[in-house]
Amino acid sequence: MNLSLGLTTSSSIERTKWISGMADALGLHGVWIGEDIGSVQEIFTTTSLALLGTRRVNVGIGVTSPFIRNVTTIARAAIALSEIAPKRFRLGLGVGGLRDLASMGIQIKKPTEMMRKTVRLLRVIWTSRGIPVSEGDLKIGGYRPQFGGKEEIPIFMGVRGPKLLAQAAELADGLILSGPKKYVEESIKLVLSRRTTLGLSSKFCFVLWTPTIMVLERSDLELVKKIVAIVAADTPDSVLEMAGIAKDEVDEVRTDIAKHGIKDAAKNISSNLVEQFCISGDAGGICESLRHHSKLGVDEVVFGPPYGRDPKKAITEVAETWVRTE
Amino acid sequence: MKFGIGLNANDPIPDVLAKGLEAERLGLDYVWVSDLPSQRYAPVVASATALTTHKIRIGLGLISPFLHTPQQIASCLNTLIGSYGGRFELCIGPGDREQLKRVGVDLDALDNIPQHLLKAKKEISQALENRGLECRIWLGAQGSKLLKTAQSFDGVLLNYSSPEMIGWALEVTGKAQGGKPSLVGVFAPSYIHRTFKPEMYKLLQLSSAIVAVEASNSVLRRFSLLEALGPARRELLSKPLDSSVLKLIPPEVVEKFSIFKSQDELPTYIGELERLGVEHVVFSYPQGYSIESLGELAEGLSRIRGTYTQVD
Repeated sequence: MNLSLGLTTSSSIERTKWISGMADALGLHGVWIGEDIGSVQEIFTTTSLALLGTRRVNVGIGVTSPFIRNVTTIARAAIALSEIAPKRFRLGLGVGGLRDLASMGIQIKKPTEMMRKTVRLLRVIWTSRGIPVSEGDLKIGGYRPQFGGKEEIPIFMGVRGPKLLAQAAELADGLILSGPKKYVEESIKLVLSRRTTLGLSSKFCFVLWTPTIMVLERSDLELVKKIVAIVAADTPDSVLEMAGIAKDEVDEVRTDIAKHGIKDAAKNISSNLVEQFCISGDAGGICESLRHHSKLGVDEVVFGPPYGRDPKKAITEVAETWVRTE
Repeated sequence: MKFGIGLNANDPIPDVLAKGLEAERLGLDYVWVSDLPSQRYAPVVASATALTTHKIRIGLGLISPFLHTPQQIASCLNTLIGSYGGRFELCIGPGDREQLKRVGVDLDALDNIPQHLLKAKKEISQALENRGLECRIWLGAQGSKLLKTAQSFDGVLLNYSSPEMIGWALEVTGKAQGGKPSLVGVFAPSYIHRTFKPEMYKLLQLSSAIVAVEASNSVLRRFSLLEALGPARRELLSKPLDSSVLKLIPPEVVEKFSIFKSQDELPTYIGELERLGVEHVVFSYPQGYSIESLGELAEGLSRIRGTYTQVD
């Protein structure tokens, strides 16, 4: 099993450079950069910084959404990033946070169809230098990319729910999973079963990226509970069902957040929800817990964010512990 | 007078970087990376260029706020300036009408493009200001409606090369009457040569033909070019701009939209521009086609650098 470090476009440039440099220096497998919609850093430019500042670590976008960008922009950004660091760039695609998209006035219609067409079109564009490409539903007509050729950019999908998971099994090179342990287990089973049915190879990468927080003192648990409150409230009911989590308990959290805010809602988070939605503990405990997921079929785990009260210390300790105990 | 070169994001990244480095070594003031929908994504190319160079200024653009949101454009600059320092410029404009249409952005269906651009400029400026970042925002313009909004930008990059057309454009912006914008530049397909090469001229013909056929009817009419471009424009309704269409465009029309000069002719031409108030010249594709063609430009410019005083 491989360890990667995670960050988002809300991270500062200094942190992005530091984390990717640290992953490279310690020989970790990768760095994943998530796009926080509307954040001050831009996802593709930020990813270029991570690739340009490292020599061997894989760098992936996990994830960006075709609902907020023209698919041709994703295609040509991915090609440029892949050329900066051949065979080190991985592209993650997802629908995006529904609340974030709604705040931009974007309504999600037929996400499964949109994701399918996007993935297929990207692969066509990447191999169609100078050849006209069309996809009527995405309003692409007679588009002639002046780049690409032989590039094989791995596409990961960061999606949830049975329909999109089945689609990822069919179309993607890997899946970025996030959610309760039981859900992760069920998702992996679903994807593997679908691939077997379709006669596809078992070569498929499962990445687990779930909130991870280093806990050194009792007061650190407050951060853990806050994060769990946010994540649990945002988890679709279909995922709760797959994970066997009582919807009523999460509904209470949602109501608490709406009425009293995150801080107060966090006070009522049960240890069961903490266990389900977050990996926390000291560095050794976190590494052990992450490694435990290999039994479920996870190939790669991602540490952070939010890392812990002292992010630098948490990242250093977890990464070094992982390497030492490998 | 400042001089820049347009890097071509058609080239693989290693080639673009080699040219960026060479442009810096040759003493050019700017490289500009244009964001065309058919080419590599310009902010990533600009990022790699910034890492491999040290002092040359890097222009991002022309980039279209009709393809990317102002927030996305501002975020790009935020990341670039935050990482490499304040040596970036931005140029926004409507973008290549034909190419945008192919990716689902129909400029013809939009009302009041100049107002949209002004709004985008304000949003980008505000976002950068909020982060305490400085970056000049240029307007890439050609038609009269757009030129009239140039006063609200830090500078205007005119998509013209002939002194007659530049003079007219400056009158429209109000610059000729001493008004804003404070900076005026031109960017145009260019071929400055020591030894003429037919294959480079072909590339120049194609690049300037694209500019010419995309020019507005009012501009073409004003300069009596509308009729000459008619056959090519009609042909373009049913086929892409290829050599058969190119043959329909008279060479004098192509040369009106390009900087096609020998090294000996260059100082006189630049002198004309300087008298008009132009302070920036960006030599666009195919001048940056190869390290060799970059060198030919630099040789030509070295004759001017000795003649004209550099203005910082």
